[in-house]
Amino acid sequence: MKKIKLNMKGKHILEGYVFVLPLIIGTSAFFLFPLYISIKLSFGHLIKMAGFQIEWSGVQNYLRAFIIDANFVPMFLKVVNQVFTRVPLIIIFSLLLAILLNKDIKCRGFFRTVFFIPFLLGTGEVMKQLLGQDVDKQVVSLADGTLIPREFLIYLGSNVVNAIDSFFGVIVLVLWNSSVQILLFLSGLQSIPAPLYESSKVDGATGWEMFWKITLPMISPIMLLNIIYTIVDSFTDITNPILPYIQNHAFSRMMFEYAAAMGWIYFAFIILLVLLVIGIMNRFTHMTEIKERVKS
Amino acid sequence: MKEGMVSTEKKRILQEINIPLLAKVHEWFKTPKRVSEKIVRMGMYVLIIDLAFVFIFPFLFMLVTSLKTNTELYDITVNWVPKTLKFENYIIAFRALDYAIYSKNSLMITIMATIGHLLSCSFIGYGLARYQFPGKKILIFVVIIAMIVPVQTIIVPLYIVFANLKWLNTYLPVIVPTFFGYGLKGSLFLLVFRQFYLGLPKELENAAKIDGCGFIMTYWRIALPIARSAFLVTLLLSLVWHWNDFYEPAIYASKPSQITLPARLNELVAMVNRPPEGLFDEMALADGESTVNNAVLMAGICMVVMPVIAVFATLQKKFMQGIERTGLTGE
Repeated sequence: MKKIKLNMKGKHILEGYVFVLPLIIGTSAFFLFPLYISIKLSFGHLIKMAGFQIEWSGVQNYLRAFIIDANFVPMFLKVVNQVFTRVPLIIIFSLLLAILLNKDIKCRGFFRTVFFIPFLLGTGEVMKQLLGQDVDKQVVSLADGTLIPREFLIYLGSNVVNAIDSFFGVIVLVLWNSSVQILLFLSGLQSIPAPLYESSKVDGATGWEMFWKITLPMISPIMLLNIIYTIVDSFTDITNPILPYIQNHAFSRMMFEYAAAMGWIYFAFIILLVLLVIGIMNRFTHMTEIKERVKS
Repeated sequence: MKEGMVSTEKKRILQEINIPLLAKVHEWFKTPKRVSEKIVRMGMYVLIIDLAFVFIFPFLFMLVTSLKTNTELYDITVNWVPKTLKFENYIIAFRALDYAIYSKNSLMITIMATIGHLLSCSFIGYGLARYQFPGKKILIFVVIIAMIVPVQTIIVPLYIVFANLKWLNTYLPVIVPTFFGYGLKGSLFLLVFRQFYLGLPKELENAAKIDGCGFIMTYWRIALPIARSAFLVTLLLSLVWHWNDFYEPAIYASKPSQITLPARLNELVAMVNRPPEGLFDEMALADGESTVNNAVLMAGICMVVMPVIAVFATLQKKFMQGIERTGLTGE
């Protein structure tokens, strides 16, 4: 058998393909093909399950979501609203906490573990059950009068108290959802070379300046990853009412086409949001520039 | 100069009258630059302890409630420390959940899928970081898109694909994709490994190649062992996600004997509302204590999350070190 001689470049390319071969197989079988069928399904009508016989029926399924179904749009808007309030808060809080945990504090290992506990509980059915017991409302509650005297609460009026309580409720939920983000930020902070801080300290930079001029630009790639992760995560959160709704239509009511269409509306919105974030963040991401400066 | 002498004198006197704490306080206020620093530091501790409380709260709540007796459960004065610990809750929950059977299901899925993620994502991630080839950008783009697409968008066709492969009512639909870089959040792990290898200097691998090491062997002998931190991160996240996930397993393997522990919790919730007959016949408990109540539910939840917490507790130190070492760029 004749051995095929490849030049260095060809060999390099071939080796690369060997490494990504499983990914290519996986992508076509478990992602692109279902994605394609799903698009077809959302624009059509399923005739026969075997062999995916689908008849084109136009935008009927999409129209149904926006015009006929009275539940979908309000539910969708509610989820969007929830995501828009949560994501910035999660990012800010997790960055703050990561910076705190990155400082030289006592019992650092213990605190890092503690901040990871909600993640262990919170990614599935368990958290749903806990929320069913109103755990989130019990953490910080003004209404029970332990934090602030009752007289003052009466003076404030129940509306204000309820507003503050629900604000704290949001914060608590935000914190419980930021374990992974804290972790990602922590690893990003660890990767900032210490000499950068040392030399800027010699030049007389304050901690505040160092945060804006070193920390933030250096972790901006992780920040981007984190924002995308958070957006996706909050859209696929278990407490999100839309996902069970879609699933119910697909597997209980057997309305595959309509479920696919709703899935696509949902996905289209997420991807628009993510692209927007990438576009904005690209203006602020200076990673490569800084790396080169460090090297030279 | 003189002032300094006075202060040392004061300090000496304070130490002489044996109030070391006061001496310390004195010293503390004597150095103005450090005062602000220390106040900031104290504020930091206060903040971090407060936040730590919020984070640990659900866990404590769970633990405490799971040990409450029936009467204490509805007694609002018993907030934190129950007077008597009722460990029977755990026994009831163990039986009601059929823990022995369903934990085996969960374990099976979790272990296999995690192995799949570790193998495939390190392999593919290495390739995506180290090699330049046509179509690479498209591939990475697809991976990112795959991370964003909610599984609900493609679940129907996926279901049909697996039905055609006759994989339904097995765990294969959950396990097999993980060996190809897909599955539950597989794309995230791909990017973790890629990011890790991008930050790693190539010199070691190049040296191995010059010494005649083949490219697969270079990966296996050099790149794989170095990536310990990325491995730990992937291992832990994948374990936790798969253990807690019940969406996909419940759809593909829907036979009652195949469901996983988190899905089984739903049954326990149903039992809280309507206890089945005959569950307590052999356990002669006092009257009013023989109900599946919220305390039992909490005990059940505790038992469901316990394996994950145990794994995390054992790996915690190495995991956190791994997080620290993931940033190798600066070294």
